[in-house]
This record gives sequence, structure tokens and C-alpha cells, in this order.
Amino acid sequence: MVEFRHKTPLIDQLETGPWTSFVSDIKREHESRMENPKGIDYQFNQDCCDDLLGVLELSYDHGRTHWKHGGIVGVFGYGGGVIGRYCDQPEMFPGVAHFHTMRVNQPMGHFYSTKYLEQLMDLWERRGSGLTNMHGATGDIIFLGTSTPQLEEVFYELTHNINQDLGGSGSNLRTPSDCMGQSMCEFACFDTQEICYQLTMEYQDELHRPAFPYKFKFKFDGCPNCCVASIARSDISFIGTWRDDIRIDQEAVKAYVGGELKSNAGAHASRDWGPFDIQKEVIGLCPTQCMSWDGSKLEINTPECTRCMHCINVMPRALRIGLDTGCSLLLGAKSPILDGAQMATLVVPFIKVEPPYDEIKETVIEPIWDWWMEEGKNRERLGELIKRQGMQKVLEVTGFKAIPQMIQEPRSNPYVFWKEDEVPGGFKRDINEFRKYHQR
Amino acid sequence: MDEEAAKKLIVETLEKKKGKSKFYLKDFYKMLPDEKPRTVKNLVNKMVGEETLEYWSSGSTTLIGLKGVGKQAGSEDED
Amino acid sequence: MAFISSGYNPDKPMEDRITDIGPRYYEEFYPPVIKKNKGKWLYHEILEPGIVVHVAESGDELYAIRCGGCRLMSVSHIREIMEIADKYSDGYVRWTTRNNIEFMTDSKDKCMALKADVLARKQPGGCYKFPIGGTGASITNIVHTQGWIHCHTPATDASGTVKVTMDTLFDQWENMKLPAKLRVSMACCLNMCGAVHCSDIAILGYHRKPPLVDHEYIDKMCEIPLAIAACPTAAIKPSKIDWNGKKLNTVSVNEERCMFCGNCYTMCPSMPLADTEGDGIVLMAGGKISNRIDAPKFSKVVVAFIPNEMPRWPTMTATIKKMVDTYSANANKYERLGQWAERIGWEKFFEKCELEFTHHLIDDFRDPAYYTWRQTTNFKFT
Repeated sequence: MVEFRHKTPLIDQLETGPWTSFVSDIKREHESRMENPKGIDYQFNQDCCDDLLGVLELSYDHGRTHWKHGGIVGVFGYGGGVIGRYCDQPEMFPGVAHFHTMRVNQPMGHFYSTKYLEQLMDLWERRGSGLTNMHGATGDIIFLGTSTPQLEEVFYELTHNINQDLGGSGSNLRTPSDCMGQSMCEFACFDTQEICYQLTMEYQDELHRPAFPYKFKFKFDGCPNCCVASIARSDISFIGTWRDDIRIDQEAVKAYVGGELKSNAGAHASRDWGPFDIQKEVIGLCPTQCMSWDGSKLEINTPECTRCMHCINVMPRALRIGLDTGCSLLLGAKSPILDGAQMATLVVPFIKVEPPYDEIKETVIEPIWDWWMEEGKNRERLGELIKRQGMQKVLEVTGFKAIPQMIQEPRSNPYVFWKEDEVPGGFKRDINEFRKYHQR
Repeated sequence: MDEEAAKKLIVETLEKKKGKSKFYLKDFYKMLPDEKPRTVKNLVNKMVGEETLEYWSSGSTTLIGLKGVGKQAGSEDED
Repeated sequence: MAFISSGYNPDKPMEDRITDIGPRYYEEFYPPVIKKNKGKWLYHEILEPGIVVHVAESGDELYAIRCGGCRLMSVSHIREIMEIADKYSDGYVRWTTRNNIEFMTDSKDKCMALKADVLARKQPGGCYKFPIGGTGASITNIVHTQGWIHCHTPATDASGTVKVTMDTLFDQWENMKLPAKLRVSMACCLNMCGAVHCSDIAILGYHRKPPLVDHEYIDKMCEIPLAIAACPTAAIKPSKIDWNGKKLNTVSVNEERCMFCGNCYTMCPSMPLADTEGDGIVLMAGGKISNRIDAPKFSKVVVAFIPNEMPRWPTMTATIKKMVDTYSANANKYERLGQWAERIGWEKFFEKCELEFTHHLIDDFRDPAYYTWRQTTNFKFT
């Protein structure tokens, strides 16, 4: 029987109920470390999991955190990838007195082989706490908790033995992340994994060393369903779309109408919603009313379609995305801190997504970065800079032409700050000439 | 400005600052107003590699200062 | 324990150093059926909650089984995942964007054997190790932040609030009974490391008291100008204080301006802000990230504060359950929670969900506030 030094009556109550319990899991890791059947020479405190449970119990007892931030620790030459953490009760919990996090750049799409996972686990069991996050909010593999001297050792083993680098934090490009894309999903309009990987490699310097006024995120969603939430949280949001017709299989449409195929790929199967009603569930919910069904043929008026995905989601075996695919680029999403949340704003309605992605890099990413590096205030996200200096400035630095797709509606005030070169004759006028016709 | 002179200027400017040892990247742009931000960024990161400067990360942002200078190492128990 | 070197030489950090190599190339982690059919998938279908078949143009099939995971996961647990993947899915496994584990098999038989196997695996307290569900019109896993496990500015715990919420909503995880999918997210302070601000339901930790100032130590521990600069609302000013006959440098906090973000504590450990009574939970609702039918939406604050009730937060989970049940009973098929609330009107939402409306819920923060007030006579009596 492995002993636990700390009594944890409060968090023990999180070991009941159906959902998987993180408390049970941490206890399991403690047992594994104490029993140590493989005879591992632990390079980080063997009893750290026990102490982590103790810290957590203390927080549950009085409702306050016991962690302090640390900014100095990192691996040499990198500005990101490590977050320093110290316990504010180190004597009570020496096993987690120093408990730093490492961000490891996840493989795109979060695909793993067990061989690779084993390398990562062997390393982290030996040199860290044996606890991870799979995955952090940005997408990285998180190694949760190790000491300062182990940071370089972990990094050395990662790079030398596992051919694997850290992810980003701080005023860097953050680890780009993507949805599963074409690997498994028929809705994906471009290869999210490939562009995510290639841009991650292209911008390694920006990812590891501070380059910007604040964090900068790329995220890649294969279609407008936005499973990776790029539109809500990335500075450049790549969202798949297409320009031609939705492909229709009329026989399959009939099969949905006839009830042979389950609507929305079976998503509503646990409840009786009555027979499928194409008129009500598809035609009636189409936001642009660009569809019609005459009882035998489904028609879509493509120029009116905004590609919202509803009809395709409902009838995936009858409707498929078009063949002329690419992505829309939207800029400047962020969470509410500080001036309120911002969704990303559409700047490029359609661009082809083809390696080596020169057009995307040269016409969007790099001009936007140059502008933000020059004009962005400290800790100002791109979206806030766009708000402060205006969409016009985005057009100016990228050279894109203003088009109505960029806006929800035109301005409702006429206060245009006309530039001198836009007005015939310019701003310099002769007052004496004016006075010839107008008395003082 | 040649690189060595720029490095010297950065170190001298930082040594003159009192009460504050960590700075945003933009503060370095102001020290070298004639250089492009990207050039200054590359120089600052190079100086970290040469162990003249060091990073301090809040997690969300990164600050930069002279290596070993400031109160952070003491309060973070990393001295 | 004896120190074992990896080969790194601390005296010569640049010697033999490898940097800027990025992640491993993803393709080596694709199961063969994905490598073969990538970009050529024809359709997918949810066979039962948690099990999705993907069918390719070639006729190949891929069965994916979705298991809930704690974001916080031990090496031992991951080794168990590896064992399952080796046994049933040729040594390949993936995670979803919402902390679920997906095992992929090339036949339905293997998939069903895998299902029976993982459902039988329980933790000592009876919790499933690998609960199956989270597909279609259900509640999938909650994405969350670190909380008291590892963060210095949380106002509540993350893993614990998520565990009790998933226990409460487990029926909605295992079944697909909702009008549409419902995404719950959790962030343990207002800095929101996760994208909770566009979720159907967001659980947010919130502080309500400005930071303490440890006057005696602040000038020794911290660089005061950095603490001042860290404040996003310019609420911190330098000041002096008489301390046992000595004049000490310190800061003063304009309490009315403090938005309780904890950025000063990040820079300066002498300005802690955690507080037992001050800290608790905000609930937000009605957000979404999909462009389906209408534009993505932000979540709105629907409960300004719920105290932290460790270890199982009963008020919070009861409030969330009431919202989910009311939505489920009232919304139309395909309608997301926010779309339903907008259709019936937010005044009706509060009535139906039996939520108290207080002045805290009327926006008074900067510019966007005005756009959330009502500028029409069209409203419903409640």
C-alpha cells in the first residue's frame, strides 16, 4: 500500500460520479512513482504528486490559490515555452516548491503514434512530475511541473532524442493549431495540417523569441463550422470556404426526405424529433433563402449562398462542399481583456491555400506583422490596433481594395477624414482669392 | 549604426535606468530610432544568446533586461 | 536521487545545441487508412453516441470512438491509452480540440470490442476512466484552464468545477437529446486562457476584491514601476508609507478602477488578490463559434456571482443544469442556446431559467456597453 502524506477529504469527494476523475488519476501517478516498478532514477521529486494533492486540498479548504508566477526560468535563448511556478507554502509541500510548466509543440491535428507518446512519457516520467495536460488551450502538449535544472535537460532530450521542439509563450508567435481537417473530415476546404506545419516551421524564430508587442496566434479551421475556434481567438484566422456550387446528390436528398438517411449524420438520434422535414429543417432555416425543394429536386442559387454549412451539416451524404476551395482570412480576434472581446474581422474573402503559401505570407502575414511591430503599443493585440487605427489602415498596409464583404453595414455617420489627395485642388487655398467674392 | 555600437548603446542605456530592470521590446526600438523594429528585435535576441541580456516572461508577454540585474531572481528564488 | 545528465553542459549552453526544429511532421502519426484517404472522405455518420464512422471515396471505413479525458492527465493514464491503442488501433490515437481521446479502428468489430473494453475500466471511486460520448447534439468535454492546480491568479479551481459539471450533465454527454450541440467552457480568471467567451455556457472564475499590498516587502521583492505598468486600468500609483519610523516605497491601488485581473500579482508577488469571500464563479451563456445559420456570438453574463462551494459547487451545477434543461425543453431542433435566447428574448430567458436579473448584468464597461442596451419599444413583459 502506497502511503499518502496529506489527508485530502475535500478533493476525495471528486473521486465519485461518472465522469473521469483527475484526483484519482493524480493518486494513481503517485502510487506508480512510489512503487517504481521499472526502477526509474527520478530526476524530479518522487513524491510531487502527493504534495500537489496536498496543495490542492489546502486551496479547497479556504478557496485561495497557492501558486506564484516566475518569469526568469526558461531554456537558454528562448523567450517562450516555459512558465515558471512556485508554491507559496514550500515547507509544507517541498515536492512542488518549484513546479515549472513546459509547452511542447503538439503534432498537427493532435495525431500520435504510441511509439512517439512512449518517448515523451519516458522523458517526462523521469525528468518531471509525470503529469501533463493533453492539451493546453492553445494546443500544446503541456508538461506540468519540474525543477529549474531539469528544464535544460528536458529540452536537450527533446531536441536530441525525440526530434521535438517547444511551443510558444510570451510576446511570441504562439504555437499554431488546427482542426482535424482533411485527415478525417469531408468538410475541410484546405489541408489545415500542412499549412499549420509549414507556417510553424517558417516562423520558428518568431515562435521562440519575442518579436512582437504581445502574443500572436494563427489558427486553421477547415470550414465555417470552426471547430478550433479560430474566429474567436486568433490574430489571423484561416477558415476554409469555396467559390463554386455545393455538390448535390439528388438521390441522397430523396433518401433523407424518405427517412432512409439520418439527418445531421445521426446527431439527434437519442430523441424523437418526428420525421425529417426538409422544408422546415433545411429550406426554412437557410439564412439566405437560396434553396428550394419541389418534392423531387433540390436547387441552390449559388450566388446567394453564404456557405454557412447548415444544409451540408444536416444532409452530409447529399451535399458536399464545392471543388474550388480555399480559405477566408480574418484578423484580430481576442478574448475580452481589455477593451472587450473581439471576433476576427474579414479582410480576405478568398485566397487559395497552396504550398509554399507565398501569397498568404507576402500579402497578409508579413505586412500585418511589420505594421503591428511598428505601431502596436505594448500588450496591444492586433485586433485592438485595428480598432485604434481603423480598417482603412489595414487596407493601407496590405494594399487590399475596400470591398463590401469586409463590413456588416456601411458607416452611419458621414465623418469621413478625407485625405488631401482625395479632394480636387488639395487643401491649400488662397484666402485673398476667396475674399474677392466674400466680404469679411 | 554598426552592430557593436548599437549593442554598447543598449547596454549603456539599460545601465542608466534606475528602479526598473526589465523592458518591453518597444523600449529598445526607442533606443535605436533609425533602425527597423525587425533589426532591433534580431539584435536584442542575439544579445540574449550572447548572455548580455535575458528574458523575463509574464506568460503572456516578454520583458527583456540586462542579465542578472533586478529583483526578480531574488524574489523568485532563482539567484 | 542522483543527477543524470542528458548530455547538456550548463557551462556551455550553446555547445551541440539544437533549436528551431519545430514539431514532428504530423504525417508519421497518421494511421494508414488516413494516409491513404486524406482529402477523399465522402461522409461521416454517428452510429451511436461517441462512435462515428468516416467513409471514403475508396470505400474504406474509419471508426472513431470518442472518450472523455481530463485535460490533466498522468503518464500512467496515457500509458493505458497507449496500451488500448496498441491493442485495437495499430498504435495510433488522437486527441480532439476539446480534450477527448479518439481511438480509430478500421472495422466496426474492433470498434465495438474497444468500446466494451474501455467502458469496463473504472477508477477506484467508480468513475469511468474512458467515458464514451460527446458527439452530435450532446454536451462534449469542457475545455478549461489550470485553476488551483497550477495557476497564480485563479479565482476558482478549473479541474474540480469541470468534474462536477460533467458529472451533473453526464446524461447529456452520453446521449444526443439536445436541440443542437452545447459547448461548455471554463476559465479560472478573467484573462481567459481558453476561448470561453464564445461558448454556449461559460464558467468563469472571478475575483471581486482589489489586491492586497505587502507594504513592508514590496520594494524588496518587486520593481515598483513594473507593477504599475502591469495594470491595464492604470489603477496603481507609486506612493510612500511610514513603516516603523522608516519611509518605504510602495504603491497605492485606486480600488474603484481595479478590474481584478491579477496582472500586478504576475509581476509582483507582494500584491496577492486571492480571497475566500471575494472569489467565485460567473456564468455566461449564449455564445458560439460556428458560422452555421448565423454569425458567431459572444457569451453573455447571466449570473454575476456564485460563491465557491468546494468541493462540488452545488449552486453552480444546479444553475447550469436548470439552464440546460430549460433550453433542451424549449428550443427548436438545430437551435443553439444563444439562438434560442435571442428568438425568445433575453427577458424570457431569465424568466424561463428562473435566473435573477441584477444591475450587474447591464454592461457598463467602456464603449460596447451602449450597444447592449435596448433601443426599441419591442419587449416582452415577464
